[in-house]
Amino acid sequence: MTNRCEDMRDRMGAWLDGELSRSRFEEIRVHLESCSACREERRQLEKLQASLKELLVAVPSNVSFERFWPGVEQRIERQRSWYENLLGWARDLSAPPQLAWAVPAVIVLLLLGVFSLESFFPGSRLAGQRNNFANVESIDAFGRNVAVLRENETKTTIIWLYQNQEGEDESTGEKSEAGPSF
Amino acid sequence: MESSDWELVQKCQAGETSAFQELVSRYQQKIFMVILGVLRDREDSMEVAQEAFFRAYRKIKGFQGGSSFYTWLYRIAVNMAIDAQRRQKRNPLEFRENMDSVLEEQHEVEKDPFANVHDKELRASLSAAINDLTAEHKAVIILRTVEGLSYKDIGEILGCSEGTVMSRLHYARKKLQGKLKAFL
Amino acid sequence: MSLPGKRARRVLLFSIACCLVSALGGAAETTSQIVQVKIGAILASNKGDEFDARLAPLEKQLKLMKYRSYRLLKEESQKVQRKGNATFDIPGGRSLVVTPQESGTKQLALRVHLQQGGKPLTDTTVRLDSGGNFLLGGYPHEGGALVISISATAQ
Repeated sequence: MTNRCEDMRDRMGAWLDGELSRSRFEEIRVHLESCSACREERRQLEKLQASLKELLVAVPSNVSFERFWPGVEQRIERQRSWYENLLGWARDLSAPPQLAWAVPAVIVLLLLGVFSLESFFPGSRLAGQRNNFANVESIDAFGRNVAVLRENETKTTIIWLYQNQEGEDESTGEKSEAGPSF
Repeated sequence: MESSDWELVQKCQAGETSAFQELVSRYQQKIFMVILGVLRDREDSMEVAQEAFFRAYRKIKGFQGGSSFYTWLYRIAVNMAIDAQRRQKRNPLEFRENMDSVLEEQHEVEKDPFANVHDKELRASLSAAINDLTAEHKAVIILRTVEGLSYKDIGEILGCSEGTVMSRLHYARKKLQGKLKAFL
Repeated sequence: MSLPGKRARRVLLFSIACCLVSALGGAAETTSQIVQVKIGAILASNKGDEFDARLAPLEKQLKLMKYRSYRLLKEESQKVQRKGNATFDIPGGRSLVVTPQESGTKQLALRVHLQQGGKPLTDTTVRLDSGGNFLLGGYPHEGGALVISISATAQ
């Protein structure tokens, strides 16, 4: 492959996309008339484009946008009510001066309450970030396959049972080989 | 007569949520498809797409019409998709892969959301090859292939020059070509 | 801003003192004998796109399973002594028995036994933080899969 061909191929994508200047476009068009290797490159790129389009442009089956706007609207409403609560609180703060001493007192009491929350509500989320991961110490699936799956972001543990290859009916209750132990 | 995007934006800026709903309705599918191309997961893409519109709603008062509304919106969506994919990559991927393979065994879930592409082998290889691209390279491929946007528009959306768009596209296509030689 | 009166200051100081005492008192760990076990039986399927609003707290967890529709079939909570059995009827003629084992207040070990028509389906022991949960699923049910969320909190 010549340097000229390499240069042509580097721009082949842009040529197919119609993004080259008039003169550059012509240059490559003329070159393709006499270079079979570059024509092959063009053919491959066109096939790649077509496959990409077929794969990516098709809307996935059964995608419904019915709940899309409600999902967006919910987020907007949530933010609105947060703002309104904040405004209301700010308004209350500018209440008569006799009550002004109560504000720092309430804040102190709230902070103390939060720190002692664990004793009143053991395991509450406010008491601190809990590690939600569960450890599976033993498991017997009575002939079914088991997958134990853990996901980091939500700290979720899922124990999932599924049929073995032979598609044995779970209702037979026959214990085949022992399930995995952890 | 249908209102233009700019007319609807101005109504949003004046506080009309119904105008924003109209904009959402116009672009929800396009935005979803772009994000889906990057994240490759239907549920996550729906979530990120809704967040993208919410972010656009919050920022709309600052939109002055310097670019078109849709390139401004795409920019928000693509950046969020890229961020989401980076977060995804920090989580152990083996969880999703295991779950997919477990559920696929029971034929209960379509592992690939693009189930209506007929050539399964090419689809699987192409899907895997796309997944190997960085989020930025995926984004240029999606914006060009799915949306048919010009290099100029893509550059505006991604905040880079047309030259950079061209070289990213070239790199991404070369990489895909390399992995799919047997099919091309 | 006017200073609070003498009486108001005393009330405030007394309240702060009460909170401090309760915080210190709660710091010492005692093993509680009562465990609250809560279960939710959920149908996960690809029929429709419905997400039951009652499952909102579990949404992120459930959507990991990539089904399109989730419906809460049953929710129940029971208080049980350690080593005692909390038995729940689960849709589909199933029965779930959860037995908290001997452990601390912060961490719990649960023995979980699921059966159907007298035949055992799953027997597992799981250790988790008090207040945490895990999901047990995959059982075919009504064209989808049954998923059970199990959580436990030491009282």
